[in-house]
Amino acid sequence: MLSIKNLHVEVDGKEILRGLDLEIGTGEVHAIMGPNGSGKSTLSYVLAGREGYEVTAGEVLFEGRNLLEMEPEERAWAGIFLAMQYPVELPGVNNMSFLRESVNAVRRARGEEELDAVSFMKRVREKAELVKLPDKLLKRSVNAGFSGGEKKRNEILQMALLEPKLTILDEIDSGLDIDALRVVAEGVNALRGPERSFLMITHYQRLLDYIEPDHIHVLAQGRIIRSGGKELALELEEKGYGWILEEEAAA
Amino acid sequence: MSTQRELDDLVKAGYEHGFVTQVESDTLPPGLNEDTIRFLSAKKKEPEWMLEYRLKAYRHWLTMEEPDWAHLKIEPIDYQAISYYSAPKKAADGPKSLDEVDPELIETYNKLGIPLEEQKALAGVAVDAVFDSVSVATTFREELAKAGVIFCSISEAVHQYPELVKRYLGSVVPHTDNFFACLNAAVFSDGTFVYVPEGVRCPMELSTYFRINEAKTGQFERTLIVADKGAYVSYLEGCTAPMRDENQLHAAVVELIALEDADIKYSTVQNWYPGDEQGRGGIYNFVTKRGDCRGDRSHISWTQVETGSAITWKYPSCILQGDDSVGEFYSVAVTRGHQQADTGTKMYHIGKNTRSTIVSKGISAAHGQNAYRGLVRMGAKAENGRNHTQCDSLLIGDKCGAHTFPYIEVRNPTAKVEHEATTSKISEDQLFYCRQRGLTEEDAVSLIVNGFCKEVFNELPMEFAVEARKLLNITLEGAVG
Amino acid sequence: MITAELQKSWAASLLEGAAGTAAAPWLEELRGQAGALIDCLPPVNRKQEAWRYTNVEPLLKESFQPVVQRPSGYGGEAPEAIGPHRLVFVDGWFMPELSDTALLPEGVTAGSLDEAIAAGDERVKNRLGSVADPGEHLFAALNTALINDGLFLHLPAGVKLESPVELFWLNSGGDAARLAQPRNLVILEPGAEAVLVEHHLPGAAERYLHNGVTEIVLDPGAKLDHYRIQDESEQAWHLSRIALDQGDGSRYHGITLAFGGRLARTEYHGLFTAEEAACTLRGLYTVGNDQLQDFHLDVRHDVPRCSSREQFKGLLHGKGRAVFDGRILVAQDAQKSDAELTNDNLLLTRNAEVDTKPQLEIYADDVKASHGTTVGQLEADQVFYLRARGIDERRALHMLCEGFAAEIIEHIHLESLREQALARLRQTLGEL
Repeated sequence: MLSIKNLHVEVDGKEILRGLDLEIGTGEVHAIMGPNGSGKSTLSYVLAGREGYEVTAGEVLFEGRNLLEMEPEERAWAGIFLAMQYPVELPGVNNMSFLRESVNAVRRARGEEELDAVSFMKRVREKAELVKLPDKLLKRSVNAGFSGGEKKRNEILQMALLEPKLTILDEIDSGLDIDALRVVAEGVNALRGPERSFLMITHYQRLLDYIEPDHIHVLAQGRIIRSGGKELALELEEKGYGWILEEEAAA
Repeated sequence: MSTQRELDDLVKAGYEHGFVTQVESDTLPPGLNEDTIRFLSAKKKEPEWMLEYRLKAYRHWLTMEEPDWAHLKIEPIDYQAISYYSAPKKAADGPKSLDEVDPELIETYNKLGIPLEEQKALAGVAVDAVFDSVSVATTFREELAKAGVIFCSISEAVHQYPELVKRYLGSVVPHTDNFFACLNAAVFSDGTFVYVPEGVRCPMELSTYFRINEAKTGQFERTLIVADKGAYVSYLEGCTAPMRDENQLHAAVVELIALEDADIKYSTVQNWYPGDEQGRGGIYNFVTKRGDCRGDRSHISWTQVETGSAITWKYPSCILQGDDSVGEFYSVAVTRGHQQADTGTKMYHIGKNTRSTIVSKGISAAHGQNAYRGLVRMGAKAENGRNHTQCDSLLIGDKCGAHTFPYIEVRNPTAKVEHEATTSKISEDQLFYCRQRGLTEEDAVSLIVNGFCKEVFNELPMEFAVEARKLLNITLEGAVG
Repeated sequence: MITAELQKSWAASLLEGAAGTAAAPWLEELRGQAGALIDCLPPVNRKQEAWRYTNVEPLLKESFQPVVQRPSGYGGEAPEAIGPHRLVFVDGWFMPELSDTALLPEGVTAGSLDEAIAAGDERVKNRLGSVADPGEHLFAALNTALINDGLFLHLPAGVKLESPVELFWLNSGGDAARLAQPRNLVILEPGAEAVLVEHHLPGAAERYLHNGVTEIVLDPGAKLDHYRIQDESEQAWHLSRIALDQGDGSRYHGITLAFGGRLARTEYHGLFTAEEAACTLRGLYTVGNDQLQDFHLDVRHDVPRCSSREQFKGLLHGKGRAVFDGRILVAQDAQKSDAELTNDNLLLTRNAEVDTKPQLEIYADDVKASHGTTVGQLEADQVFYLRARGIDERRALHMLCEGFAAEIIEHIHLESLREQALARLRQTLGEL
């Protein structure tokens, strides 16, 4: 589904990703872990097409299409969803109208019929129930004045509505207590299926207890330096990143 | 209101620096005309070009109108009643070393706590002391000379570094700029000149203490500081003046020039005589201060603590011409008695990615009136220009005033300007809380006011910050309503 | 730059054409005094703080024809109102045949100021000219010197109107550019409540000058919601001054949405002389090519315990220019005042310009007073967030601008008017 080859990315003239390779198959759940400053968030923004990230080398294919040539909304239409670490506040923009606008834009692009107000409302309520997002937050401005947990649940609600093929969860666990984390994880797990892939970016093993990945990668100094199964996470939890970095340096 | 009396007592607290030094002066009789200027220029043995500059300014000044008093109540100034030259006699030929300096002057500076003697100056401060109009002593010049830093009186610079003076004098504040700057250009008496050559980090803080001593003398200081490419200098200006009945005019001009990658930090603590309780006497402080970030990535920072003067009217400004240049203005202004302060800054964003920060803290007590007046202009080419302004006012007592007059002009859509202003008072609750925890009321006020001013004090060099805090405490002791 | 001579001669040319048309001797006197005042007023040029950023010289180079008699109509139908009470004015004159006031409750007066004066209405004689100072500037004096017609609205004590009173300001065409000069007087007696809606529309004209002054008297406990949608023609000059006199515990809630005009200036003048009164002033302005929107607020807290909230937002595009000048003054005795002023501007294009000047003058210590101002463009992060959710860039821009404007529009408490306002905003955004 997603194929990243030798990706080099600069931000403000500084190289952050230095030859990153990653393959994510359909229906797979991958987790990327790594120390602060290793380039985890950069990877998620590059995949979603945010400005200010200059790709100096390498390629990214999504279902065979050159992702890097696509506008951010085209990527969303194609089925890429980025749940952000710090979701942006949109003062004055009503959350419900925003959700509808977004869902219908994606449906239009996929050649599906737009949802009318009633069936849309029904669907939102259903999904909001799933992520336990209070009704009143649907009537407020997008993320404005939401708590950290409410913002994350609003992200998962959007994911549930847009039904993306590839979901990138950028530190979705940061700033969440255990209960909120469980709710978020349930939302993600409910969407898991043979057609959908996930890329989780996280700092902590904790998240992986709730959303179990098929593959784990360690990102350091702009490259994937180690890949493995679930056992790798446990090893990291126990020993930290130091040993891999040392081994890498030795090699 | 049990605290009102204490407050009044403290607000009345005498002006600590109100003594007059008995020195025989060489003073020009009051009055201003072309002859006064010729006399002044001759007295200072100035070259012809300097005299021409003065006369040109004077002729222009005659065509100008006195500014309309922005939010200030002011008695008209009689410019013919001011004496435009006053020099301590013994110093007229210029002292060669400290030994030649009138011991009474040294004593004056000692009372002010200025570390003039070399031992004290070892603390790292070189002092160019200005007694009325003539520079009387300069310390540490040799050490500075080793680093290539020129630090001398502007009169001396006119003789010794005419090319530098000609190139930069009036290049930031032209004589046509405003009424007082124009008058200054015509009659400036003395002041400081600093030149820091390319790549040099000035090895010590430079400092000038101004002191207005002679009755009915106006003081027209002229300061010119040039930091060449990659240079750094931090300059401290302190001012005190003895108690006088008549208002005295102070119309200084300060010009800063920062070339590529240069960095100038200019700090002022001003505690001139504010006048008595009824608002009699005190200094009129009408100063034009402006810095020019001429080179890319240059940086000019103004920090001021204004506690004195009957009327203060000054707007230390930055012209951000160089791309990526940075201008800063940090100010604490205190008014009590019948003091009036109208101060602020102007940030002219001209180059790309220019940034400015304005933090203004106004404290008003008794009948004091405190106004922030500032301009932020984002020019059409100021791509990604950024400004953030924070103006906070603290009112102590119900007879004072705090005012904010920001002007924001934006001609570029990529620029971003944010301005915030708040007004508050020291609440009974805050005081009670502190007192319940064992603080005296005075300590509590001091604590709260110092907290209020912290962002600005943090910008001052260490020794100055301590002095500023002390000064603020003396000024406001017990000032709670 | 405008000189005293230009100002005098321009005003004189207008006053000439309107001499001797006052409906009562006392009005003749009021007009005469204001006319004489013009000669003493400083010229409206950039040397005056209030005109520092607003150049009206092009306006004073134009000539206009005062309208001294009720026109026959404007050549169109009566506009559609949202409720049953509709008052239509053409060139500043009340048009009974286009208006509908039949369903107003008994005791409520809503109609022509000119008629009320001619009928010797004491309420008008007592209050007209008591709230708005003609000495403020040229245009305020000119309005007073030319008083003919306008709105007279009066609600007796305790009357609460259920439906809004809706005003339509239209203009008749013709060869010469006309001067519409309405003078409006609104009096709400103790405890009365009303909603007043104003639509400023071109009607049949393109080039004209609207120079209106509205005096509003709110007696103790009275409440007025006052919504104004200014949608003048692109060639029109529009000047409005709204002056308030608020009694104890009264509430004024004012919103102006300014879309039209080549130069449009709205002035609010609020004065609290009785305690516990509250006033909220809000505004939204959009400016495009060759347009200038100018807002001036002058709110004075003279007595304790009053609150005022001023919130103005601007969307600028093309070569549009906006000026905002807001002043809040809290006098020495006005303890426990609460005042908050904000002005936010979004610059959507390269050549848009804004000059803003939010001012606080505080002479009392126990007050809550603050102001905040921002100028900038849309946040790149916000645009990206919307695009990452599949919304294209243009639509994202529209949504964010609507969201920005919504913070003003949502304070309109009439749903149908809110929708009209939103539709009008979308029309402007659609041109971007």
